[in-house]
Amino acid sequence: MKILVPVKRVVDYNVRIQVKSDNSGVNLDGVKMSVNPFDEIAVEEALRIKERGEAEEVIAVTIGDSAAQEQLRTVLAMGCDRAILVEAPSDLEPLAVAKTLKALVEKEDAQLVIAGKQAIDDDSGQVAQMLAALLSCAQATFASKIELAGDSAKVTREVDAGLETIEVDLPAVVSADLRLNEPRYVKLPDIMKAKRKPIDTLSLAELGVDGTNQLTVSNWSAPSAREPGIKVEDVAGLVGKLKEKGLL
Amino acid sequence: MTTDKNNQLEILCGKCPQLEMLRASSDLQFYGQDASKHLTPNPTAILLPNRTEEVQQIVQWANEHDIKLVPSGGRTGLSGGAVAAQAEVVISLEKMNHIIGFNTTDRTVTCQAGVVTAKLQEYACAQQLYYPVDFASSGSSQIGGNIATNAGGIRVLRYGLTRDWVSGLTVITGSGERLDLNQGLIKNATGYDLRHLMIGSEGTLGIITEAKMQLTEPPVPQGVTLCALDNFADCLTILRTFRHRLRLSAFEFFSDKALNHVLQHNDLEAPFQQRSPYYLLAEYDYGSPGTQEALEQVFEECFNQGWISDGIVAQSETQSQKLWQLRERVSESISNKTPYKNDISVCPSQAPIFLKELEQLVNQAYPDYEIIWFGHIGDGNVHLNILKPETLSHSEFLHQCHQVSQLVGATLHKHQGSVSAEHGVGLLKKEQLRYSRSEHEISLMKQLKLIFDPKQILNPGKIFDI
Ligand SMILES: Cc1cc2nc3c(=O)[nH]c(=O)nc-3n(C[C@H](O)[C@H](O)[C@H](O)COP(=O)(O)OP(=O)(O)OC[C@H]3O[C@@H](n4cnc5c(N)ncnc54)[C@H](O)[C@@H]3O)c2cc1C
Repeated sequence: MKILVPVKRVVDYNVRIQVKSDNSGVNLDGVKMSVNPFDEIAVEEALRIKERGEAEEVIAVTIGDSAAQEQLRTVLAMGCDRAILVEAPSDLEPLAVAKTLKALVEKEDAQLVIAGKQAIDDDSGQVAQMLAALLSCAQATFASKIELAGDSAKVTREVDAGLETIEVDLPAVVSADLRLNEPRYVKLPDIMKAKRKPIDTLSLAELGVDGTNQLTVSNWSAPSAREPGIKVEDVAGLVGKLKEKGLL
Repeated sequence: MTTDKNNQLEILCGKCPQLEMLRASSDLQFYGQDASKHLTPNPTAILLPNRTEEVQQIVQWANEHDIKLVPSGGRTGLSGGAVAAQAEVVISLEKMNHIIGFNTTDRTVTCQAGVVTAKLQEYACAQQLYYPVDFASSGSSQIGGNIATNAGGIRVLRYGLTRDWVSGLTVITGSGERLDLNQGLIKNATGYDLRHLMIGSEGTLGIITEAKMQLTEPPVPQGVTLCALDNFADCLTILRTFRHRLRLSAFEFFSDKALNHVLQHNDLEAPFQQRSPYYLLAEYDYGSPGTQEALEQVFEECFNQGWISDGIVAQSETQSQKLWQLRERVSESISNKTPYKNDISVCPSQAPIFLKELEQLVNQAYPDYEIIWFGHIGDGNVHLNILKPETLSHSEFLHQCHQVSQLVGATLHKHQGSVSAEHGVGLLKKEQLRYSRSEHEISLMKQLKLIFDPKQILNPGKIFDI
């Protein structure tokens, strides 16, 4: 069985985002870029499945500009067997991303796709669901546990009310939530070995995908600053304030 | 407590109506103690001034009535400098915690001495600038305390000590005079720079009430690598190799025993499946073309030489922070074992020989004790922590540690090292001072003390006895 894991290059989670002064986007100059944290979790899960002997190959794919090879090298060093770079603008919309992945799933005959539940840059959170719909296969989103059993997978999902366990037939698309696992550290010797692992480059056209965006972003702005808290003198003061705000 | 002292405190509070005073025994315990935890606090009262003028009034009052004062910052000090064990009055700067001004052109921040270090760091960040002095206790320590101890920390290798970031000071001397020193000048060749005398004086010459701190531009993105090694005398050779190709900002080490304590007390993963006796953490400028290749080259070189047995590279800032936690949490993870701390340094070039001798000495002297090594090895500074065995009484433990400290001191003396690299002398390292400073030097220091504080009001018995 092959597992396909999409990986996105995003601004590092810990970077303080700054909107450009002309509101035309986010400032990316000299900013640290990393693998989207949910995708890192997805990679880790795929590797664990392979290490348990339940999959033969883990293929990582990124859709973006060539700088994203850096992130592919990271996941190759984690243990992915090979990687694919689909050259495309880095702001490709979720539907086009899902269509690209569909073409790759079919090309590779992958039985399982494990994706991050969302990318932390645009927070769209749509690709996994769209991909499952395009493939007409099962989907199990927000996974905190994945157990494979032959042609099906038991997936524990994080839902508002708690945990829900569902069983899906393969092929399936699973999206990874935060608590699925703790990704491993990457070892220097593995980074060096990963250099010899192949990265194939494809274009959107080769996969028959139209990469024209449907939306134009008109403006970017920073969230308004949070108002500072206030100090109350005592419990009575606290109760008074809460009442004043209609919270009690 | 004499009624005399009670009356005098009342007189003071009458003079300074806004001055808060604490006398409850829980407050006395809390404010009379620092993070060293080897001495029993016993202050008479705690004063919490709001302004420089109030600090001056307190010091003048103390001179009048011959009352001893202990300046107190965040009390994260590790040498007992802020401990009040002799019925002194503690003067805590904690209410003087305001940032007073920021000058964009000079890139300086004027703050009251009680501003917590992390608050200055955050303030700098909000101005898109950087205050580089950082260490595990920066969430509690104060700028005044940092200046009084000339605090170092984890990025000394690149950015130097607190001393390098102080561009002006307001101080009330032991005799109650106000000094406004340097006031932000970059160049000022007008005689003795008393500002620098105040830095690292551990509250024995004056009370720092305000400081003008220099900021700088933020660093480019930083990479972090953690390497495993068998022999820690190799640290410095590895440092040299790394520095050939990487621009380092930190170079820290810790032992596997230290890691054990960190993993026991924190929800953190072991970095390597296979454990090694020592680990090195290096932080470096990352992102310019060729950095990754440079890192691989130095790793390969160190690996082939047998200096490093394994290594990991953080792939995200989150992983960098987790690796840093492994180092930064050492101190707090062993604190329940009341460790006896040696904070020692030699020139980095001397470190390999020195460390070998020290390791031998310590293993012989403490065959049954658990010893935890960690520290800022890149600048020749190691923290050697001896953990108290549960069966041993505290006083017997201290007694034995003091004896071994004399041996450590003699070895340091031989290599011209320091018995206190960054924690100060306070009460705990007084006996060892002679290993790092000559008799004549100590005598000059004492004379200086008496010039600034003729009645020995401030922090008596700290650094040395007169
Ligand atoms: C977990 C941990 C990690 C640490 N790591 C480091 C490290 O990496 N590097 C390092 O250098 N230190 C380190 N320390 C030690 C400590 O944090 C520093 O010495 C710090 O600078 C002390 O600041 P403070 O405000 O807590 O001072 P305090 O402990 O309150 O006081 C220290 C000394 O300064 C005097 N003092 C305080 N405020 C004033 C003032 N306004 N005017 C005059 N004198 C004053 C006190 O009388 C005392 O002598 C660490 C401590 C802990 C607990």
